[in-house]
Amino acid sequence: MIRFAVGRLLALLGLMAALVVVVFLLQGISGIDVARAQLGPTASEDLVETRRQELGYDDPVLTRLVRYGSDVLSGDFGTSTRTGSPVRDDIAESLPASIELIGAIMVVAVAAALALAIVSVGHGRAGHAARIAVSVGASAPAFLVALLALVIFYRNLRWFPATGRTSLDSAPVGPTGLLTVDSLLSGNLQAFFDAVWHLVLPATAAALAPACVIARILRGSLIVELGKDYVDVARMKGLSHRQVLVRHCLGNAAGPALSMSGLIVAGLFAGSLIVEQLVAWPGLGNYAYRSIQASDFTAIAGITLTIGAIYLLVNTTVELVQRHIDPRIGSASNAGRPNNLLRRLPELPTSTRRFGQSAPRDAVD
Amino acid sequence: MTAPAISVPDVNPTQRRWRSRLSCFDLASLALLTLVCGVALCAPLLAPFDPVARVGDAFAPMGTDGFLLGTDDGGRDMLSRLLYGTRSSLVSAVAVVAITALLGTIIGAVAASCGGWIDSLLMRTTDLFLAMPAVLVAIAVVAALGPSLSNTLLAIGIVWWPAYARIVRNELVSIGARSHIVGAQLTGVSGPRLVARHLLPGIAPLLLITATLDIASIIGILAGLSFFGLGSSAPSPELGAMTFQGLPYFLSHPAVPLVPALGVFALGFSFNLAGDAVRPLLAANR
Repeated sequence: MIRFAVGRLLALLGLMAALVVVVFLLQGISGIDVARAQLGPTASEDLVETRRQELGYDDPVLTRLVRYGSDVLSGDFGTSTRTGSPVRDDIAESLPASIELIGAIMVVAVAAALALAIVSVGHGRAGHAARIAVSVGASAPAFLVALLALVIFYRNLRWFPATGRTSLDSAPVGPTGLLTVDSLLSGNLQAFFDAVWHLVLPATAAALAPACVIARILRGSLIVELGKDYVDVARMKGLSHRQVLVRHCLGNAAGPALSMSGLIVAGLFAGSLIVEQLVAWPGLGNYAYRSIQASDFTAIAGITLTIGAIYLLVNTTVELVQRHIDPRIGSASNAGRPNNLLRRLPELPTSTRRFGQSAPRDAVD
Repeated sequence: MTAPAISVPDVNPTQRRWRSRLSCFDLASLALLTLVCGVALCAPLLAPFDPVARVGDAFAPMGTDGFLLGTDDGGRDMLSRLLYGTRSSLVSAVAVVAITALLGTIIGAVAASCGGWIDSLLMRTTDLFLAMPAVLVAIAVVAALGPSLSNTLLAIGIVWWPAYARIVRNELVSIGARSHIVGAQLTGVSGPRLVARHLLPGIAPLLLITATLDIASIIGILAGLSFFGLGSSAPSPELGAMTFQGLPYFLSHPAVPLVPALGVFALGFSFNLAGDAVRPLLAANR
């Protein structure tokens, strides 16, 4: 386990370094003249040239790469040409809003995925409807769902607010930057409910597609689990179908869905940019959109590095957690050994299960 | 899974399996895909108006003056724009997938057939690309090159080929151990002929299914990037961009942003359904 963890962490460092190189190269080919952008179009050619030298743009490529890398390591992403403030501060200002939205999206997505998967495994009308809903929902683009939700619940029904994080003038400013947490910390329940109220529509809209993707995977592994012998044993003990499904199968089937959820959390940092744009959420998406419109590549580089680092971190964490839960993953030597911590099968001797699994192979031999 | 002890030879395997494994629902999915693609490709024949020209009053309601879906803020016919936009999304997505699949297949085939350090080098590079957040890198690439449709397609291609290289390489390595390949090698077939005649046909169904499902995702990503202002420029009909430009009017005229968004959904959905429908063919090949 420790060797695996060290290996993954080294790979993580390598990937982050690669990300910095990629962003640096993109900055090179973007051809955006930072000195010119800082001084404005009316500045004289000499002034721009002096500024270029000050900024070190005439140094060899490798020197610049090393300097950029060390700057990034110390948390300095440069100065945004659009806002004039350090990119790091801009990102720190808009990141909490994005994290709050993504947290809400994941809560809704996982809850909906569990419900959809359990219902869609069943037979009958409900199962059929859930299967159709999952395959329709998986191909609905987030902006369509968000748009439909806006038209129905804001324009026609007036149930939810359309834009922003809060409608209060004096929203609590707290240590975390997450409105829901900060308002609870300061004991301001009105602000808390207001913040949740603003979260419902964008979070639900953006959660639909991830929920369907997770539900699809979970359904697949649930069906595999339901075909195993221990399910028959549990049924023979007198447990109901629902009980077997929730208590015995769900834990065993969670692995692939869990790793997919990790990928989705990481991907949402890029994907929620679009939904943020729709509901004017003051997060990274808004910042990225404005930076792109102003061709402010320094800011875009900072956003790419921040989100990229979060993406890589989340994925590595999920891998480590999965390995901890199920030590068979990633090691061929003990593949197939039934020592999964998630498999709670006290009533079933291990040898019985192994006999059941290996029976067909013996028959062939 | 374990192999059956005795395998029963099939007289005409391909035909029989096609018939028995495609249900009515699967055939309907394929028919839907054909219909959607046909309508999109025939946009110049079907569209009643010029998609970029002002042909009527702004925000004409649906069904008036021959504007079946009404007009947008610039007085342009929504139906014509929807048809042309769908065609543009379809052609772009298919082109990106075709090129990245070809490139990825070549790289994967080289890695699998050379082995050794070439294989390691190519696959480590692939892993590096696969570990990166694809959409984000694509956004950064487009932002660096400047927003335009071709740059967006290029950016998606750059982040997409490694998936194919990885799939093709792994599949080729696993097929290479099977008896019909060993048999072909024993009769003296080797090199490019072995790859082209014996190995690649084995991965064709997998590639086809992956590509079909990928077209669906790329249509979504492309629309998302255009929605973000990174696709084609203003007047040309592009579904994501149309949605974004219609956004300010969603309170008064919700159809203006909703119609192109629904177009993205219809296109992606029919590709997803078709991909699921041909999935059994993969099992038939095993």
